Amino acid sequence: MNTGVFNIPFKAMLTLSWRNLWRNYRRTLIMLAAISMAVWAMIFMTAIMRGMVDDMLHQGVANLPGHIQIHHPGFRDDPSVVNSIDAPGGELLAALNDSQTKSWTSRIKVPAVISSERDTRGISLLGVEPESENRITGIAEQVVEGRFLEGDDDRGVVIGLKLAERLETRLGKRVVIMSQDPDNNIADRGFRIVGLYKARLEALEEVNVYAARGTLQKLLKIGDQVSEIAIIDKDFRDIESLYAKIKAATPDNLEIRAWYELDSYLSSMLNVMDGFVLIWIIIIFLALSFGLVNTLMMAVFERRREIGLIQALGMRPGMIVYQILLESLLLLLIGLSIGNALALATVLPLESGLDISSVAEGLAMIGAGSVLYPNLRLDDMILANVVVIMLGTLTSILPAWHAARLDPVQAINST
Amino acid sequence: MSAIHCMQLCKTFKQGDETITGLDHVDISIEVGEFVCLSGPSGSGKTTLLNAIGGLDTHDSVEIHMGNIRIDQLDKGSLADMRLHNIGFVFQAYNLIPVLSAQENVEFVMQMQGIVAHERARHAREILKEVGLEGMEDRRPAQLSGGQQQRVAVARAIVSQPQLVLADEPTANLDSVTASHLMNLFSRLNQHHHITFIIATHDKRVMGYAKRLIKMRDGKIIGDEKQTPVAIEDVADSSG
Amino acid sequence: MSNIALRLAWRNLWRYPRRTWLTVGAMIFSNSLLVFSISLQFGSYEMMINNTLQAFTGHIQVQREGYLDDPKMRYVLPDITAMADRLRSSLDSNQIAARAAGFALVSSNDRSYGLQILGVEPEFEPFVSTIPGLIKQGRYLDKDSDEEIVIGSVLARNLKVKLGDEVTFLGSGRDDSFAAGVARVVGIFETGSADLDRSMAQVSLAYFQDAFTMGGSGHSITLRAATIDEVPMLKQRVKTLIAGRDKLVVLDWEVLQPGLKQAIQADMTSAWFMYGVLIILVAFSVLNTQLMSVLERTREFGTMMALGLKPSNLARLVMTETFMMASLGLAIGVFIGYLITAYLSVVGFSYPGMEEMADKFNLPDRMYPNVSLLSLTLGPGIVAIGCLLAAIYPALRLYLLLPIEAMRAV
Repeated sequence: MNTGVFNIPFKAMLTLSWRNLWRNYRRTLIMLAAISMAVWAMIFMTAIMRGMVDDMLHQGVANLPGHIQIHHPGFRDDPSVVNSIDAPGGELLAALNDSQTKSWTSRIKVPAVISSERDTRGISLLGVEPESENRITGIAEQVVEGRFLEGDDDRGVVIGLKLAERLETRLGKRVVIMSQDPDNNIADRGFRIVGLYKARLEALEEVNVYAARGTLQKLLKIGDQVSEIAIIDKDFRDIESLYAKIKAATPDNLEIRAWYELDSYLSSMLNVMDGFVLIWIIIIFLALSFGLVNTLMMAVFERRREIGLIQALGMRPGMIVYQILLESLLLLLIGLSIGNALALATVLPLESGLDISSVAEGLAMIGAGSVLYPNLRLDDMILANVVVIMLGTLTSILPAWHAARLDPVQAINST
Repeated sequence: MSAIHCMQLCKTFKQGDETITGLDHVDISIEVGEFVCLSGPSGSGKTTLLNAIGGLDTHDSVEIHMGNIRIDQLDKGSLADMRLHNIGFVFQAYNLIPVLSAQENVEFVMQMQGIVAHERARHAREILKEVGLEGMEDRRPAQLSGGQQQRVAVARAIVSQPQLVLADEPTANLDSVTASHLMNLFSRLNQHHHITFIIATHDKRVMGYAKRLIKMRDGKIIGDEKQTPVAIEDVADSSG
Repeated sequence: MSNIALRLAWRNLWRYPRRTWLTVGAMIFSNSLLVFSISLQFGSYEMMINNTLQAFTGHIQVQREGYLDDPKMRYVLPDITAMADRLRSSLDSNQIAARAAGFALVSSNDRSYGLQILGVEPEFEPFVSTIPGLIKQGRYLDKDSDEEIVIGSVLARNLKVKLGDEVTFLGSGRDDSFAAGVARVVGIFETGSADLDRSMAQVSLAYFQDAFTMGGSGHSITLRAATIDEVPMLKQRVKTLIAGRDKLVVLDWEVLQPGLKQAIQADMTSAWFMYGVLIILVAFSVLNTQLMSVLERTREFGTMMALGLKPSNLARLVMTETFMMASLGLAIGVFIGYLITAYLSVVGFSYPGMEEMADKFNLPDRMYPNVSLLSLTLGPGIVAIGCLLAAIYPALRLYLLLPIEAMRAV
């Protein structure tokens, strides 16, 4: 006498559910359209937002630049030449040259004033070792006119296009750069502009001026000292082990910081984004759930005679629930497949970049570039699918339970 | 041992402001192998009694025994199991699941009982043949006539060899030839398989097939007599 | 439409109360959500605009043509104080102040930084900018300020100067001559924005004109309107007032801070994408409900047609039912949305990570949604229209009905 739910061949239930689904094909199609579109919207929007935040992160990390930085403890608050540090040596140098580090460089970063014949601007003067700097920032590829610096004692400077425009100067012209040495004496000298670069964020072009590290060390009279050591790992999201290792090798009188400590806006964006994705998916699901419950309720209502009949034939109430849930699950699965396919079909062609330069300055304000690269993440897709399946099934319990509670006698006799 | 034993069975309905008495202290015992007709005008309580015996309906009864089981004390799930294994139903209309073919409708009950597929299919074809529906196994209910649908329903009711078949006005929508085919089928099943039949009807021809005729009015039994059934016409065998 | 038709539509809705409530429920959910998030959006945009513009930029600036793109010392407004005075009296407003700006290397005994020095009118600057009100130490400049300077707190720390210390500044004047001066720090302001606090110093306009050989000229006149909505009107009036003057332009905040406008636009676009999805989902729900309700009433509609009703009457019936559902969803949704939003607009709310984001956009740490008639009705109104559009297909199907066939339908 004990027929448990799972003693009944799954296939029989599947057949019944599948055929029931297509009895009212109009309704099923409308519902499928709704589910597909909801799933598409969940994934598409998430990919776009992820892409934007990723871009902000990449830009932000690129602007720092370096996933991990080592400074004089006073440098971040007071970025002066006084707060310089010795070039890495000993244990730290060994840790930096370890294979786990993707790349590292040391640079000078001081506030300075640049003057052309026409105008004067405040800038951030960077003294870099061209080769290792390029490995970290890719600055050499951003040079659109002339060349990037060559060697540690190059006597030229590379400035941004925008800055050149502001200074009314051009490639090959001379500019005077003025800063101060640790004794607060004005240190200035003329440089020839050997290259112009174009950055993804225009604001950077106005601020960052590149000169050779050795040349600046001489100008500023700081021997072989530098302002910061910048290190990059393979993936900036996963730097903990490298961070711990370098931290252990860093002398106690230096400050070491990871990117998320250097820019709390970026790291909080990353966290807010995870929350946003979940909320977005759930809101869309909730809007969808009303239609889902309604559809199943209608299906149950239309078939109440039949449900009464199979109850009379000896189907346990649990089995009725099972059958309605299966029907809902089938509906959800088809909707999900179409929705996922649509999302892939719309996001993948955009992965080469979506031009949204009409709002470029607005995006620059939040730290994103003007070309959007949607980022379709597997875990987001899984999240969307799991939410729809789990909550969808959960929501379907209401109509299913309603069906199981139908009084067979009334159901059979109803018109 | 009696198959069914009901004591002091009562049932009231609310209809608008009125309370209608469906069953009024009914006592009834039905033995295994009986062929019983419940007759009486509409509203006399036939269907209500049938549903109560089948455990389909709630009632204010004191006791209903089936074999040695108190079915009035079973929960919904156990009642469903009892129907599945022990009782076959044939209703006046809407007997079949519209999305399933004739054979699938018959197999459905066996599937729920957990019978393996090939066994199920073989048995279903046998039964369909026995009710004269050979060759129509794959038709959906909408493609069958009223009589054919009823025969599928009968096939489904008896396929798991229940102890009891409850039929509520099974011939109401059938013409007289089809109706007598159906009744012959019932009689044969009663004789050959010892299945107990309880049929609610107000069709005089149907009553002729019964071995026991129970008359009801206003929820009470007003007559209960044994009778000799009319001879079974073996026409069902030749029908297609 | 006659009264009985309305009654018929209304009663039809409640034949299956569960179905109607589920459909209306979808509307209520979306409507309250839309009311809340549109109010929040409007509220935060307004705050973003106000906080950004009030700090320094103002709503409108009068400048020399070309100065915005390329702020050169020589792009000046001549006789700027007289011009500002004239604007003040013509517009009968104090919220107008003249400024001049130049680049200089500012040095203390220990440090030097290159930054922007601003010459302001001390008596009017407080009406167009919040910086004078954010002095944390000392005082702001006054009318007679000469050789006095106020600087941001970060700059003060970096220069290692305190109140009363002297700083020197070196730059070039309007005529490319050498500009230099020594000024005493009389005030240190703290806006909370590290950028402003690091990179700004203010002196009086007269002193600036003197040091940078500006004569009587300056670079901009900044105006503030009473509210953001009055900006276009004010801009028009200023334009008329300076009409005779050659090469002057009147720029509003959208031009002065294009990033702000575009950040809002970008946010609007993504927000409306999300709202669109919600609205379409609700419309699907209505489409489904109304199509089913039409199909299952085929027989009934057949009877009505046999009685002499035209398909158009029946279609109108279906549209009326939808309209009633939409109105119900609108009323309840707006009400619930209003309650939530009004509550939050008083107590405010925040979420994790908001502090950092708020900082970036000059927003306070708690958000206060802004309830207005527009924010209450915009989203729900579109939902209602979407629902009515969705009901067109079911209504049109009625034109396909033939009475006899319809009556036979089950």
